[in-house]
Amino acid sequence: MEAALDIFDAQWALNGAGVGASRTLWLTGIMTVAGIAIFALVMVFVALAWKARGEARTWWVVGGGIVFPAVVLFSLFVGSTLVLRAIAGGAEAAHVIEVTGKQFWWDVVYDPDGRAIRDANEIVLPVGETVEFRLKSADVIHSFWVPSISGKMDMIPGRVNRLTVTATEEGRFRGQCAEFCGLAHPLMAFEVVALPQDEFDAFLDGLEGEARDAVTPQERRGAEVFQTAGCIACHRVGGISDARIGPDLTRVGARASLGAGMWKMNTGNLAGWIADVRDMKPGADMPSYNHLSGPELRALVAWLESLE
Amino acid sequence: MSVVENPSDYSGTRKGEDKSFEGVWDTPKGIRRLSSVSHRVVGRRFIYTGFVFFLIAGFLALLVRTQLIVPGNTFLDLETYNQVFTMHGTLMMFLFAIPILEGFAVYLIPLMLGARDLIFPRLGQFGYYCYLFGGIIVLSSFLFDAAPDGGWFMYVPLSTSAFTPDVSADFWLIGITFAEIASVTAAVELITAILCARAPGMSLAKMPVFAWYILITAFMIAIGFPPLIIGSILLESERLLDLPFFDPALGGDPLLWQHLFWLFGHPEVYIIFLPAAGMVATMLPTFVGKPLFGYGFTVAAVVSMGFISFGLWAHHMFTTGLPILSLSLFSAASTMVTIPTGVQIFCFIATLASGRPRLTTPMLFILGFLAIFVLGGLTGVMLASVPFNWQAHDSYFVVAHLHYVLIGGMVFPLFGAFYYWAPHFTGRMMSERLGRWVFWLMFIGFNTTFLLMHVTGLRGMPRRVATYPEGLGWDRLNMLSSIGSYILAAGIALFVFDFLRHKRKGAVAPRDPWGAGTLEWLYPPVTPGFNFHAIPPVKSREPLWDQPELLDNEAHRVEGVMRGIRDGRRETMGCDPVSGEPLYILRLPHPTWIPMLAAFGLAVLFGATIASFYWVSAVGGAIALVAFTLWGWEPSDSGVARDAGMGHRLPVNVVDRRSHTHVGVVGTVLVLMALFASLVFGVLYLWNVAPGMAGAARLPSVLPVVGAALAGLAVAGFGQLGRHAGLKDRFAGAALFALLTAISAGLALWALWAALKPIDPWATALGATLWAMAAFVAVNLFVTAYCALFNAVRRLSGQVEAGQCLPDFNLATYAKGTGLMVVATAAIYLAGALQGGAG
Repeated sequence: MEAALDIFDAQWALNGAGVGASRTLWLTGIMTVAGIAIFALVMVFVALAWKARGEARTWWVVGGGIVFPAVVLFSLFVGSTLVLRAIAGGAEAAHVIEVTGKQFWWDVVYDPDGRAIRDANEIVLPVGETVEFRLKSADVIHSFWVPSISGKMDMIPGRVNRLTVTATEEGRFRGQCAEFCGLAHPLMAFEVVALPQDEFDAFLDGLEGEARDAVTPQERRGAEVFQTAGCIACHRVGGISDARIGPDLTRVGARASLGAGMWKMNTGNLAGWIADVRDMKPGADMPSYNHLSGPELRALVAWLESLE
Repeated sequence: MSVVENPSDYSGTRKGEDKSFEGVWDTPKGIRRLSSVSHRVVGRRFIYTGFVFFLIAGFLALLVRTQLIVPGNTFLDLETYNQVFTMHGTLMMFLFAIPILEGFAVYLIPLMLGARDLIFPRLGQFGYYCYLFGGIIVLSSFLFDAAPDGGWFMYVPLSTSAFTPDVSADFWLIGITFAEIASVTAAVELITAILCARAPGMSLAKMPVFAWYILITAFMIAIGFPPLIIGSILLESERLLDLPFFDPALGGDPLLWQHLFWLFGHPEVYIIFLPAAGMVATMLPTFVGKPLFGYGFTVAAVVSMGFISFGLWAHHMFTTGLPILSLSLFSAASTMVTIPTGVQIFCFIATLASGRPRLTTPMLFILGFLAIFVLGGLTGVMLASVPFNWQAHDSYFVVAHLHYVLIGGMVFPLFGAFYYWAPHFTGRMMSERLGRWVFWLMFIGFNTTFLLMHVTGLRGMPRRVATYPEGLGWDRLNMLSSIGSYILAAGIALFVFDFLRHKRKGAVAPRDPWGAGTLEWLYPPVTPGFNFHAIPPVKSREPLWDQPELLDNEAHRVEGVMRGIRDGRRETMGCDPVSGEPLYILRLPHPTWIPMLAAFGLAVLFGATIASFYWVSAVGGAIALVAFTLWGWEPSDSGVARDAGMGHRLPVNVVDRRSHTHVGVVGTVLVLMALFASLVFGVLYLWNVAPGMAGAARLPSVLPVVGAALAGLAVAGFGQLGRHAGLKDRFAGAALFALLTAISAGLALWALWAALKPIDPWATALGATLWAMAAFVAVNLFVTAYCALFNAVRRLSGQVEAGQCLPDFNLATYAKGTGLMVVATAAIYLAGALQGGAG
């Protein structure tokens, strides 16, 4: 299985592409160096103790076991608390994005209190602006984690958790569910695209409103299949259906990945997904549409790909 | 039990007496061996059974590593993988780590402290069978294709019937809770044994440090396991009866499960680490040839670790959205635990420096422990930092950290301990040469597997994923980790080979083969089944080093108390818990099937509940109740005095606060209070989380609540009066007060029911929790009433002689505990009723 997002460092916690991640990066670096140094020091003590003959002193225990760790831990605690305040310390959010974890995909609503623009499995962020994620769950506990940009936060039924995030670098990153959520837990990823502010605004405008009209005869046939085969019972496509059980497909063709960040969005994968979703993602609620005829399937895929 | 390697070693003294003495202590042969209650037999069974679970769980780990060796692997499907990692964690934590360490404690503690057996031998047998049957229930889920697959932490709502409709979660909840009975009974048994049965003169300050480690661990088990037991019972009743404890729609909270789970789960880590550290602190001085440096520091560190470990649980929940202030507090508490750990490590280092260390195989494992555990401790400090935790939590970094702490802190000392104490089990030495191979294979394999996982985690790989896509930077790291795991497995396989080999071909162990200073090496291996012909007075923490009379004489000629037998009974010395001075002669039970029958009854009860055959469950419960009654019915030996040797004339089974049975009851009440406190935590937590929901429910009725409190006071009061009458040998009075205790318990039960009648437990989570609290108190009231009737019947049927009032004494303590629970319950209901908000 090839990653949908074949960027080697897409999920690297030391990328530092967001405020949370880059502040933590410093903390991680300092703690790693200090940790290795302390480890080496203790091992040197062990070696010296091995060679020493009958010279144990109480102050070794007091110094090494109490005073030294107390000093180190206190400084670490102060440093780490400062970083915590800097990351989570209530910066005014310019945007709110509500993400709801579901077995096994992500429902996304931009500006939930205002324009309420829906999308799924891909999240676009404006670089340099603070975004508040409102994290919810529709079923079991999930955890929202984009290591390159920020630490994780759980999505717990009955609660709304808030995670403040500021992307600082443009790029495409990978996020993944970090709390075991059942059968297809390893297949629950998503992509995050950090764009300059103007492009972000343009993206949101494009996302709003109805889906693009079918143009070619094949696309029109595909739209028809979408409505007759039962897809509209679960999927929303702006202007055609308003169901909210499965991911919103109004702009599905614009996404880079398929199946919650797991496969590249292309004709082959999309056709395979529709025809045999239960094989690609066991535990998914969507049934496999393997009864569609070849032409029907091709038409449906062509239409979905055109929804950009 | 082939304990008599060379009979001439300890026969021939005081002719005529020793033969019958040995006869009394003989382990039954053939199938009746299963009825043995000896700590040596039971301890070894715990160890061997635990090791079998270790091998099974290790095999599951290899399946995990094989699945992850390449990206997109299809070796296991998702469902199987989820079952495999769930069972790996479950078996390792619940059925390997704690039972095997308790097995070592059960085996070693009486030998080290100068006792002939643990003082509740039947409880040991009962615990072992609970553990065995519980483990079999959990494992049997594989046969029904219903292995648990919700993770060893069983988070709700994934494990509720909505998302796990099959019986897999029931197998986990019921089987593990059943097996945990063994941990809790062993804890009570060990606390009592350490406090009440030590060699003459062994004050607390002269106890081998291992006993301190086990004592503190046992207290931690007694307090730490109850939250999980309560959590499991609540979750199982949510699954079976649809009660809404964790359902946010009805005022429940999935986080309540996490709090209860980690209230257990964090102390659990120290419960696993401490006995192993105790083994290190025991073996290390032997190979250095000097006593442990900083005994007082170490004991203080272990005690403070016990306390601190209960204040850290929320660091497993840093990403659940707790307020920043709680995060900071729990972060500070988590870093604080480094200090007692550091003290212990530096005591070990200082011990190394105080003599000439010998590089034996156990010593290699100790050095391996120091290296691995220190590194694991340092990554633990990193994880205590909240911002770092938000990145590393639930990633492979945590997988690396926890294996460094648990394998470094527990498995390496354990393997050292196997090499060290093997002569005790088999009379032969394991191979030093193979031992080095075992160590290096394990050490290299372990570090290859887990060191890299720190990087894998920071590269963003989450835990518990059955597969991963290629090209994210995880491919080579995972392949190397898998290769490392095979090397680690090769080391363990070589160990198994060496163990089987040495039983036949190993060199015969001489007396005190390592030159140790602790009392368990007094006899040439294998020590006879009764441990001591006479229990020697102890004047030092390393008696074999400081008391030349012990090793200069043949072991069976060593002078001591309690030589021979009286009245044809198994006996050991009961001591003052603090000073260790002889206080009474402690009569011990002989081999019996009854505890096994009780465990079997419970196994039927639990197994049938999983299968939803509730009539069969009732039969199982009845079997267990009959077995417990028979267990308690044996004639009491108290009230006579006997000569115990060395100038001591002592009562048998003294009637006193310091009596072992009374200490055992106090330990049991401690466990019950911890269970009760877990329920109170649940009530207060839900009341706090969903106050609006509390208002939506009906209130408990005030009048019955007051009545319940009065009846609770009556239970405690009549229990105390019964004790008073018993001590004065007023037979009729004692029987009457026992009856009155039972009647008050019945009244309290009725009043609680009347108070809760208006509340519908299915309507709100808080209401359900109030009912759960009442149900728990009701069980205790039932047990109090049952025991009170039992005592009354014994007195009225002439089973009790003058001076035999221990049952009244113990009932009084239990009744006071129950009465306290009733009053506390009533107070909470009353607070709710008055505030107009509770339930």
